[in-house]
Amino acid sequence: MARRKKIKEEVPEANLLPVMNIMLLMIPALLLAMEVARLSAISVSPPKFAATADEKKEEKKEKPLNLKVFIMEDGYRVSASGQQAGAEAGKSADSAAPTIPLAKPGTALDDFDRYDYVALEQEAKKFKDLFPHETVVTVSAENSIPMQVLVTTMDALRGSECKMLAAMTSDEEIPPECMFWQAIVEAGAG
Amino acid sequence: MPMTSEELFQAKKAAIKASRRDRDEESAALTMTSLMDMITIIVCYLLKTYGSDPVVITPTAGQKIPMSRADTPIQDGVPVYLSQRAITAFDKKIVQMDEAGEIDPAALQGHLIGPLYDLLAEEADKGKQMAEAKGEEWPGRIILVGDQMLKFSVLVDVMYTAGRAEYREYAFCIIIKDG
Repeated sequence: MARRKKIKEEVPEANLLPVMNIMLLMIPALLLAMEVARLSAISVSPPKFAATADEKKEEKKEKPLNLKVFIMEDGYRVSASGQQAGAEAGKSADSAAPTIPLAKPGTALDDFDRYDYVALEQEAKKFKDLFPHETVVTVSAENSIPMQVLVTTMDALRGSECKMLAAMTSDEEIPPECMFWQAIVEAGAG
Repeated sequence: MPMTSEELFQAKKAAIKASRRDRDEESAALTMTSLMDMITIIVCYLLKTYGSDPVVITPTAGQKIPMSRADTPIQDGVPVYLSQRAITAFDKKIVQMDEAGEIDPAALQGHLIGPLYDLLAEEADKGKQMAEAKGEEWPGRIILVGDQMLKFSVLVDVMYTAGRAEYREYAFCIIIKDG
């Protein structure tokens, strides 16, 4: 009877190194190709809380600025201490004409660049120079104004150079480039 | 006497068989270093992504979050998604919008959005109880994840409703704009 001899089978070693190398190159490539949206937040206050905040600041004898920006379909109306910017002294703030007209008149509401954000920032800078300690601004808008316009308006009032990350994550002070960074959102008031 | 080619072939075959018999069994070993590198990178990336954000924001379909230069990090809070189609919170579609992007008038009582108020008030109670059990203060923060085209009137109504449900802090969620 023939005996079958046991043959030790050679197991070939799988060379995975080239595959692994390719995979390793693919991971950073895919990560770089991915569109990652970095999210952030803008803190806002409703009017009643702003009143509480103002009460705390009553120790300061400086007259409050009460800067208000009203976003209209035809531009911005900017007022401070009840006086519309550009209006005659002592005259009511409620002039129908906007303080800062549109940068692109005649464009649709979904064109977010129709507003003159640069002029608004310059106007805010003038107020900031007069009232360096003021950081609060009241922002209001007409009902049809899109949220993107509101957000970009708040950006302009805060200042294009304003970076608050360091101040928010550590004990650092808010940098002086940040102008009116405490926004109060008010419904329909000018 | 010289060997024939057939004999030579058989002899070589026998020699190979003999050498195979003598050889120890080898075990296949995978090179795991590269795999480990890859996994380490993925794990670090995922940890960085999920560990740094206290709130996971997942916009609803078709929602375009506003862009801004603000760089303040998002703090823990209740996200409410405001798209042009609906108001969504806690994975529930609460209020449907009409074609003009306005809130369904049936859901509105003045500025108060009834169904949203009910849900937020309930969640506020839960949040307060949980904070009390932990011995912490309830932050009462709401994160408004809006849409670029969301009307200001809708935003005001949602803020008013959240205020009535005792939420004290509000934040607009934005996408950081480069440059």
